[in-house]
Amino acid sequence: MHAAHKNHDFEPKIAAFVCTWCTYAGADLAGTSRMQYPPNVRVLKFPCTGRIDPVFILRAFQKGADGVLVSGCHPGDCHYMAGNFHARRRFAAFRQLLDFVGVDLNRLQFSWVSAAEGGKWVEVVTGLTERVRSMGPMREFKELELEEQWSGKVDTPELQEAYEAIS
Amino acid sequence: MIDLAKKIEAPATIDITAYAGATEAIRAEAAKLLTEGAVAAVIGYIPGRRNGTAIPAIVTSPEKAQELIFSPACVNNLALYLTRAKKEVKGKGRLAVVAKGCDMRALAGLMGESQLKREDVVIIGVACAGVYGSGADRDAPLAEKNIARKCRECRVHAPEGADVVAGSLPPLPEFSPVEAEELARLEAMTPAARWAFWKEHFSRCIRCMACRSLCPFCYCEQCICDRNRPQAVEATPRPAGNMAWHIVRAMHLAGRCAGCAECERACPMDIPLNLLNRKMARELKELYGHEAGLEPKEKGPLNEYREDDDQSFIK
Repeated sequence: MHAAHKNHDFEPKIAAFVCTWCTYAGADLAGTSRMQYPPNVRVLKFPCTGRIDPVFILRAFQKGADGVLVSGCHPGDCHYMAGNFHARRRFAAFRQLLDFVGVDLNRLQFSWVSAAEGGKWVEVVTGLTERVRSMGPMREFKELELEEQWSGKVDTPELQEAYEAIS
Repeated sequence: MIDLAKKIEAPATIDITAYAGATEAIRAEAAKLLTEGAVAAVIGYIPGRRNGTAIPAIVTSPEKAQELIFSPACVNNLALYLTRAKKEVKGKGRLAVVAKGCDMRALAGLMGESQLKREDVVIIGVACAGVYGSGADRDAPLAEKNIARKCRECRVHAPEGADVVAGSLPPLPEFSPVEAEELARLEAMTPAARWAFWKEHFSRCIRCMACRSLCPFCYCEQCICDRNRPQAVEATPRPAGNMAWHIVRAMHLAGRCAGCAECERACPMDIPLNLLNRKMARELKELYGHEAGLEPKEKGPLNEYREDDDQSFIK
């Protein structure tokens, strides 16, 4: 059906935390308008960007997201009056913290997408997907997830000896 | 890896005879308050069992007040005992607390967060020239070598806003700001190098939660990190959970941490936690002009907003 379908070596996973009133409706508009955008994005609907805890972003990275998008209403358009203003401050601080810990901020994007901006949603998602694709998989958190605190070697001679001494 | 305690030769010692004056003043004030019945208890320091140590103590009688001391070993932030986390202390009634300049900032923060009423507490401020660092040689006189890192850059030697100020300040030598230098060094690194730095530090973490137990601002009834269903932060001491815990901790203290560096002092694995706190404090100061602990403020930088806040990072 679509001519320009190309196979890539790496398909990034993008977690998109969106607010139900603006960006979710915007993404819906993109869909009903039959606009094409990469299927890499997993949309997670929240009542408001103010509900999106930095822990969610952390968790997304830990559980295998290669990129994270946080998107909500434009300032002044919040359904709950000020949720996105609070979120804006929180994320301004949080991205500085992530940067300080050593996370590449190109993997994390914040946007305002209104319910009427189906086109902007497509643009944002496509841009982020392509950027993360060119950066490759997010290795840091995944490697960390696989690591154990202790070496986990259970077959050292000392342990073996101790084990045999039990019986 | 840990080159934080850089050795510097210049033997500038701090004359700690002034601390004896502080001890006298604290005892007199505590005895007075307790005899008058103005307070139910005085939270202060008494000598520890070993030489050159001090432990927090809750003193309820004028006789016992004569045991109170102030010395460079008085490292604890006693503001902790006035939080919700220490209900058994707070339930006693009106309290007096011995506070160094840095502890005063924590007290101001707690008042701002409505955890404490100014009229419920008598603050015995102490003019403090510095305390020992963790693991420092406590037999040597207080000098560049064994002073706590936070004290090297202290700007609150004289407590402001206390009810009484005990002691006077000796002449203070200039110390190089080790922590600020370390922060600048980290910031100049590439993200990958910073990741390696923190990964190495956080991987050592044993999740003893000493940093949380000692923090005057970690008074939540239930910490998000203790919750399961859904679990936000893995509770076992694996590197992944450790990284998450320290990020969440820094985030929850952002704009609230008054920089007493108790977390770093208590850390048995020597993780430079105060670097994270300082980084966040500086970012919030740059972004929103907020500095924690200067005065009781009802709202921190992350609880309020302005319509014209910077949003250059939002695309």
